[in-house]
Amino acid sequence: MRRATALARAALLIAAGAAVVLASGIEARVPRPAHDTPKGERCVENTEFMRRNHMKLLVHQRDRTVREGVRTKAHSLANCVDCHAGATTRSVIARGPDGSEGFCAGCHAYVGVTLDCFECHAATPRAAATAAAEERP
Amino acid sequence: MSTASLVFAALFYAAVAVLVGGLAWRIRLYARTPAPLRIPTTPAPRTRGGVALRLAREVALFESLFKGGVWLWLFAWLFHAGLALVLLRHLRYFVEPVWAWLAFVVPLGVYAGFAMLAGLAGLWVRRVAVERVRYISTPSDHLMLALLVAIGLSGFAMKYLAHTDVVAVKAFFLGLMRLDPQPLPADPVLWLHLSLVAALMLVFPFSKLLHAPGLFFSPSRNQPDDSRERRHLAAWAAPLDSHR
Repeated sequence: MRRATALARAALLIAAGAAVVLASGIEARVPRPAHDTPKGERCVENTEFMRRNHMKLLVHQRDRTVREGVRTKAHSLANCVDCHAGATTRSVIARGPDGSEGFCAGCHAYVGVTLDCFECHAATPRAAATAAAEERP
Repeated sequence: MSTASLVFAALFYAAVAVLVGGLAWRIRLYARTPAPLRIPTTPAPRTRGGVALRLAREVALFESLFKGGVWLWLFAWLFHAGLALVLLRHLRYFVEPVWAWLAFVVPLGVYAGFAMLAGLAGLWVRRVAVERVRYISTPSDHLMLALLVAIGLSGFAMKYLAHTDVVAVKAFFLGLMRLDPQPLPADPVLWLHLSLVAALMLVFPFSKLLHAPGLFFSPSRNQPDDSRERRHLAAWAAPLDSHR
């Protein structure tokens, strides 16, 4: 029992030490994926939902399109790419000269998740979207 | 930063402190416990190299368990091998960038998770269905299985039912490691999963899970069978010996 008390005291000491270090305001930057801000006002769903469930939407869309033959636009991968391609790279997977990562590839690499979409699908916007982007000043 | 994020940050600092400090204390205790006799279970290796190999087989293949009974070995090995891969899968939340070999292992961790739960289910069924095992089972045996199963199920719930923001989760843990707490996503299943894992870390140094470090200190496994070649004399017994 005495040992357990000593242990609890040691744990408290370490926690207190950590708190002191935190309070002293050590600047330690936490790495996060960096990518360009996508164009447009808002995504097809809200951001919190998309961060958690975009893959479900894409698989659902694949099933609807490929297996059931229903082709809709709401959650189409090509539409994702049109808005989310990098400003200079025009791609969702390529790394930009300024060190920015592709909108998809950055986070997927960050958490070690495979990204198979672009083995077949284009990672760059369709011609119409590219033309529209170039027309803008 | 939400209160919940700070509570979880504090919880994990405390859990790591207890796990590391507790294990160090236990291992020190095991290392200082005298082994008065040469008692390797024979047939035993006759050299230190052979002992290292024997322990390696125990760790990787659970040799003794296999000799004890195939069913227990099967479920235990399935669980532990699964757990090892699942832990590797979770390593991605703690290293940045994710190493190439780790990115290869990450998807395998999902299958390993199923193997882990299958092993746990087998171990639990054994505890209930085999009468002589049920007779010696204590509440802590069942609670430990329940805790591990709950951790696995809550993990799978996030994989397949209620996803969380894994990028934010990684930022949270990288933040902890850099003493720069980051917000944790407000997802109930994630909170449940992390609370259960913290509970596991907290009870580890006070539970049967100590068989992990304990294996290396088992005299019947870690001693060479060389009592003919070298006299085994425990340090505390030496003075007694000289007076005889």
